[in-house]
Amino acid sequence: MWLVVLAFIAICIAMRPALPWLVTYPSSWLLPVPSIINSVFGFLIPLLKPICAVLAIILRAALDACSAALQWMPWPAMILFFAILGWLARGWQLALFTAVGLGYVVMAGYWEQGMNTLSLVTLAVPLAVGFGFLLGVAAHSSRYVRGITMVVLDLLQTVPAFAFLIPLLLLFGFGPIVGLIACLVYAVAPMVHCTMLGLERVPPSLLEAASMAGCTRRQRFWHVILPTAKREILTGINQTTMAAFSMVIMAAIIGGFNDVGWEVLNSMRKAEFGQSLLSGLVIAVLAMVVDRITFGMAQPARDRTQTTLRNGLRMAVILGLPLFVAFLLNASPSTMAWADKAQGVIDPSGLNRVVIRFVQDFSAPLDAFKVFVLYHFMLPLRIGLVGAVTPFTWGFAWTFQVSTIYCGLSLSLAVWLWFRGQWQGGAGVLIGSTLLLLGFNGFPWPAFVIVVTALAWSVSGARLASLAGLGTCFIVGAGLYGPLGQSLYLCLLAVLICMFVGGLLGVAAAKSDRFSAVLKPVCDALQTMPQFIFLIPALMFFQVGELTGLIAIALYAIVPPIRYVEYGIRSVPADLVETSRQIGCTAWQRLIHVELPVAKPVVVLGANQTIMAALSMLPVAALVGTKDLGQQVYIALSKADAGLGLVAGLSVALVAMISDRIMRATVSNTGGALD
Amino acid sequence: MIGRKIALWTLPLAAGLAIAPPAIAKPLGDTDTSIKIAINEWTGQNLSAHIAGKLLEKLGYKVEYITAGTLPQFTGIASGSLSVSPEVWPSNLGDVYPKAKAEGKLEEIGELGLDTKDGWLYTADTKTVCPQLPDWTALKDPACVQALATPETFPNGRLLDYPADWGSASGPELKNAEIPFTPVPAGSEGALVAELQAAVAAHKPLLMRFWAPHWVLAEVPVEWLKMPPCDEKNLAECIVAPPVIKVVWAGFHEKWPAGYELMKSLQIHADDQQKMIYAVDKQGKNLDQAVDGWIEEHQSDWQAWVKAAQN
Repeated sequence: MWLVVLAFIAICIAMRPALPWLVTYPSSWLLPVPSIINSVFGFLIPLLKPICAVLAIILRAALDACSAALQWMPWPAMILFFAILGWLARGWQLALFTAVGLGYVVMAGYWEQGMNTLSLVTLAVPLAVGFGFLLGVAAHSSRYVRGITMVVLDLLQTVPAFAFLIPLLLLFGFGPIVGLIACLVYAVAPMVHCTMLGLERVPPSLLEAASMAGCTRRQRFWHVILPTAKREILTGINQTTMAAFSMVIMAAIIGGFNDVGWEVLNSMRKAEFGQSLLSGLVIAVLAMVVDRITFGMAQPARDRTQTTLRNGLRMAVILGLPLFVAFLLNASPSTMAWADKAQGVIDPSGLNRVVIRFVQDFSAPLDAFKVFVLYHFMLPLRIGLVGAVTPFTWGFAWTFQVSTIYCGLSLSLAVWLWFRGQWQGGAGVLIGSTLLLLGFNGFPWPAFVIVVTALAWSVSGARLASLAGLGTCFIVGAGLYGPLGQSLYLCLLAVLICMFVGGLLGVAAAKSDRFSAVLKPVCDALQTMPQFIFLIPALMFFQVGELTGLIAIALYAIVPPIRYVEYGIRSVPADLVETSRQIGCTAWQRLIHVELPVAKPVVVLGANQTIMAALSMLPVAALVGTKDLGQQVYIALSKADAGLGLVAGLSVALVAMISDRIMRATVSNTGGALD
Repeated sequence: MIGRKIALWTLPLAAGLAIAPPAIAKPLGDTDTSIKIAINEWTGQNLSAHIAGKLLEKLGYKVEYITAGTLPQFTGIASGSLSVSPEVWPSNLGDVYPKAKAEGKLEEIGELGLDTKDGWLYTADTKTVCPQLPDWTALKDPACVQALATPETFPNGRLLDYPADWGSASGPELKNAEIPFTPVPAGSEGALVAELQAAVAAHKPLLMRFWAPHWVLAEVPVEWLKMPPCDEKNLAECIVAPPVIKVVWAGFHEKWPAGYELMKSLQIHADDQQKMIYAVDKQGKNLDQAVDGWIEEHQSDWQAWVKAAQN
């Protein structure tokens, strides 16, 4: 089959000069998808608007009440309250961590905004948990519901939030409610997944026993299934909270509310690195505090005694104490004013000066690095070797002879691989070298569709192939082949860099406990802090352009390979390691011949997560001027064209889903199982 | 509340007795529903919005500030969920605004009086490589083009342009004037500011599109290019310093007649705004303090507007 594919590609390339539509999709063939979506919205929105308006009013009132309550508590009382919660959940270490973390929020001067963020999350999480739980139960009990739910969840997690912003704005009007709903929609998914997992893991024997004991359906659900699945459900609540925190910044872009997300955006707008780092850390700190507390509560209680009246009383006193302190502080404004002096004592502008000084001193080497990467890695992938190799960049021109030598080399490599029995490798070399020759911008789209479909077919079969074929046709048909090429080339480079660097870091972390301990908080911070923050120094060092976008994507997407490679190598069975040592392997031989092959399924899963992370960064990279699918979402936003925005968002989701399915199928072919 | 109402009723009465014009008093209209003022992404607009809000409050209205993106806000104004946007720059409006305006869902109520600039600027170090600046013909000099070229734009020079989603006439204007430069969209305001600051710090040449008043211009030395001539009526192909306008929801006049008059007379000067922007963004002053300072300084101006609105 691959022979046919190769022949097709060859024909496409040969016909390129004669038929220019092979490279640039003709605008007269565009599918009218955006206008169809728009007319559907035009019909739906007037119907849904009254319901949504009522919902918005209720949510708004709840949000106002929530933030008023949090604002009423003076910050010392609030810190006391959280510290006590931490103490109840995990002991004094967590109490100390909580107090220090929240103390930082005060000293950074973002207490008020922090509490608004917290109220947004406090409101979003119970709703998301409620919906998620119900959906999870429904999906568990019916195959039909399950199928639909899984597709919807995939879409919710991969379509960039900006894409469904316009319909949300039309339905709910302006204000924090739109942001709240975006948070909620995004945070539902982990809850559903965890609920389903928990319900599936209930052992059948237990259900049997319950039926024999004469339970009714309802009794069985409440007294047998739920307590057994409790652990997963609690993990789900924890994950939902984290997801809600990670959406706070998007909520700020959408809704706008006096919260930390808005502060991060403002400092991003002013290109103030210090302030943005400071406010970004506030989100990370809040997320970590809530994460540790909810995680602590989700752990099975070690020595929790029965809740007797006396225990309840003690609890009431402990939780009542902060309230009492709050009353005292509110009654005496002078004490509060004295305490308020601690607010905003950290001044981050020094950091801004450091960045500027760095640019001043190192602009020449930074420029040299940028030019080197652009000429040798980015341009060849984008416009192909044909366009990128000029005397100005590489020192020689891309003449006919060079072209012949290049083609001859790749052909002979492919033939050699073929004779060694690795025909997949041979086909891969041919397609890869063609891509490199022409670049993503010059690769004919029919060839692209065929390659993706054939790949899906060969790893999994007709079902995946039809998804891949239809999906790519949809993207091309919507006229997004150009931005798609841009996105793919940025993501591909980012993923390669991340897998290489992150893989090395992961191996190092697996070999050294100390290095692992240093790396962990760095990874945590890279993932919980709003990604916007890294854009500012990257911009100052490398200017607006694709290299800056690439760096931003790579910084975020480097975390999964580190984590998965470390985990994979660490979980290689000890007896295997011991055997290899006994037969006299050196450390490198052991790594290459024993540990990496055994860890392969986990590493591939890590690669999959890296691709997802890179794709999710596309809208962020668009803020530094890339021309990818993320930029299309913004352009649609500026035109308030709901259809166009959704189509661009769906395209990102389709790329994510197709690559995810192909990766999963590859792993299950090689015998591993993905979870 | 009642006291204030009586006071406001007596004002036009007293004025009427004094000069006795044949004017009919403008009713306040619906003072129970708050007037929703749009808050956009930049400090200058936030200041204008809060000045408008404070003055409306002095008339006796309730106001509410609602954060809304520059472009999505027009959807809100058209549907009435936002009432007024006091500082709108018509240079980058996207497609929603003209559509909503043609449908009569929102109304332009004159200029804000801000003296603005919009065009291409360059850093001081650009002048050493393109000595004929500030005239636009300097950009046709091959040495200048070469100095401003980057790997991405080669062989053309690079013009850092407004983000793609703002819409920009730089491309057509470069083409019409046959200047060998390629516009590179910046992606966001932060990106524009960061590049400008970095270029000044590293003493590198930079040509970019920008606007004034903006706080960063008080920090870094820049010069404005004398733009090539173009057809000023064709906004899609010509960059002109836009008259900043005020936009209200079409039902504003009906619902809050006196407020409508006040919004019509509101004027803010660029110098005042730039000073306030600097105070807020760089000196860490509170937005309210800055606005109160303006209210204090311009007593006679706004009192005249308030009076006119009530008559």
